[in-house]
Amino acid sequence: MQTRFYLLVFAIVLLSGCQKTLETDSGNVAVKLTNMLGDGPITLESKTYINAVAEPYTVSKLRYYITNVRLIGTSSAAEAESYHLIDAEKPESLQFSFTAPSATFNSIEFLLGVDSTRNVSGAQTGALDPLNDMFWTWNSGYVMLKIEGNSPVSPVAGKKFEYHLGGFSGPNNVLKKIQLPFPAGKLASIQKGKTCEISIMANLDKLWAGPNALSIAATPVCTTPGAQALKIADNYQHMFTLSDVVNNK
Amino acid sequence: MKKRISIFLVATVSLLVVLLDACKKGDAVTGVPGKVTTPLKLIIPAGWPQPSTDIFAGNPLTEEGFQLGRKLFYDGRLSKDGNFPCASCHQQFAAFATYDHQFSHGFNNTFTTRNAPAIFNLAWMKEMHWDGGINHIEVQPLAPITNQNEMAESMINVLLKLKPDTAYARLFTSAFGDATINSQRMLKALAQYMGSIQSYNSKYDQVKRGEAAFTVSEQNGYTTFKAKCNSCHTEPLFTDNSFRNNGLAVDPFLKDVGRMGITGNPSDSLKFKVPTLRNVELTFPYMHDGRAFSLSQVIDHYRSFIHTEQATIDPLLKNKLLISDQEKVDLANFLRSLTDKELLKDPRFAQPL
Ligand code: HEC
Ligand code: HEC
Repeated sequence: MQTRFYLLVFAIVLLSGCQKTLETDSGNVAVKLTNMLGDGPITLESKTYINAVAEPYTVSKLRYYITNVRLIGTSSAAEAESYHLIDAEKPESLQFSFTAPSATFNSIEFLLGVDSTRNVSGAQTGALDPLNDMFWTWNSGYVMLKIEGNSPVSPVAGKKFEYHLGGFSGPNNVLKKIQLPFPAGKLASIQKGKTCEISIMANLDKLWAGPNALSIAATPVCTTPGAQALKIADNYQHMFTLSDVVNNK
Repeated sequence: MKKRISIFLVATVSLLVVLLDACKKGDAVTGVPGKVTTPLKLIIPAGWPQPSTDIFAGNPLTEEGFQLGRKLFYDGRLSKDGNFPCASCHQQFAAFATYDHQFSHGFNNTFTTRNAPAIFNLAWMKEMHWDGGINHIEVQPLAPITNQNEMAESMINVLLKLKPDTAYARLFTSAFGDATINSQRMLKALAQYMGSIQSYNSKYDQVKRGEAAFTVSEQNGYTTFKAKCNSCHTEPLFTDNSFRNNGLAVDPFLKDVGRMGITGNPSDSLKFKVPTLRNVELTFPYMHDGRAFSLSQVIDHYRSFIHTEQATIDPLLKNKLLISDQEKVDLANFLRSLTDKELLKDPRFAQPL
């Protein structure tokens, strides 16, 4: 009789293990991005900006990947299947959320770009679907950041500039790991049933300045992995800043 | 009492096994309960190496997936004007190369800028295209579909054209469990069809299996082959899948730098993927730009015309290859023994009805 009871307990324990999401103590993390250019949030097409080498330009397209998002504390909490295509034309793409175990975290970390594994693993879907026009067909791999626009100083047809920046392997790797520490009074504290909102600003002015000043007149187009893409990526890796953390929303 | 406990134990354990198994089901990539797919297996012929990567990882090979891929491969709707299905350039009777064309015809009276390679034994090929720019079989079709001088279409339009077709709704359902038509499923199905095309039944293979015998000339050609060609066109695949410069003059109009276009590395300049020589009798014209029209011209290249002064010339070809006239005849006869007549006529790979 006792044996029977133990077996029953054993069965229940095993079966409950089968439930995918064990009811642990967890809360919600909402990440909000704002793309900044000049003196405020970016305006596509209609607004003229001036870059670091005093060239006027407008922006028609801005897209980039944020992937492998994690919160770091004494332990770390990673978002599952963490691939986000940020698209300035799609406001809904500027926000995403995931669940994390209740704990306090010191920083948020992510990749600017698509990790090398997903660059070599065949047909993907969701944010990584080739329909999003962020995949090179002739030299397999993702464009990590794409910005296009016009400038009177551009020497190419239509006065365009076009930067499709990518490359994931060996010396051509433009992937950047971004880590943004939370300020002392504003650690992210994940609490059961609550949302912690993390706001991040992406300052696109950094694209032009930094270690390698970029000029549209000199380099109107960069659409292949290689030295030029690496230089621009070294600039834009500094574009993110943490603007706010709000706990318990 | 003891017996009752053990019966109970067996019953409980089997119940557990069944239940645990049931909770695993949700993970299956293909197939819904009740709809069963028919698994297929890649054949690894005796004596062949294992494929270096599993091209069907995350894309379980099934009869249903294969048949969907086959229909897509022959469907003109994958191209802008309907005239350029994959099969227009990759013809079964030419071992899936373009028969007798230096360059293939693409959309709007254009031509490709490279010679269309044969398609078979792709499970043993790590990087595709002459320059190795494609790193996975599933993403390869994106190149011809979107190239202006091939199919000139967008993936979005292709999907819009396929979605209303109830035949596709049926085929996607039987391959993937529901009627969702998306780019990932389409590409995986094409990979299943292409990856299943295998060539291992030439006379050469029959000789290796003891089912046939070489003629004296073929045998002599084989000996020459092993001495002069096999280090790059390595048996049994007749390629080592490396990128090398075999000393062709640079075409002044195409200026194709090959592998360097992908890696950006000057030491890769003028290197191209070593092509397989299986079915080489049917894949003429030869080389990445189809400049050689016969096996005789190819062998003459290796005997006499290698540009040994090129900086990246392969060390094995620095002194050209010493091949006598008799050896040349025998070598060509041996190369013709690599033709796999079964593949050329296999109804499994033909245009579906
Ligand atoms: C207009 C002619 C044309 C069409 C249509 C075409 N291809 Fe090709 N295919 C080529 C050429 C040319 C190459 C070589 C490309 C290169 O090396 O840059 C090629 C290369 C390939 C390769 C790589 C073979 C190797 O050995 O590296 C595969 C696989 C392939 N094509 C499959 C397809 C599929 C699938 C389709 C349909 C979605 C297709 N092709 C449509 C001309 C064509
Ligand atoms: C050093 C390596 C190397 C050796 C040795 C070599 N080849 Fe090649 N072969 C190549 C490469 C690389 C190509 C592709 C070159 C290109 O298209 O630019 C090629 C192309 C070919 C082709 C064209 C196939 C096609 O489908 O277009 C044939 C045929 C060929 N070789 C036959 C031979 C024969 C026969 C020998 C021996 C006499 C030989 N090769 C020796 C590297 C080699």
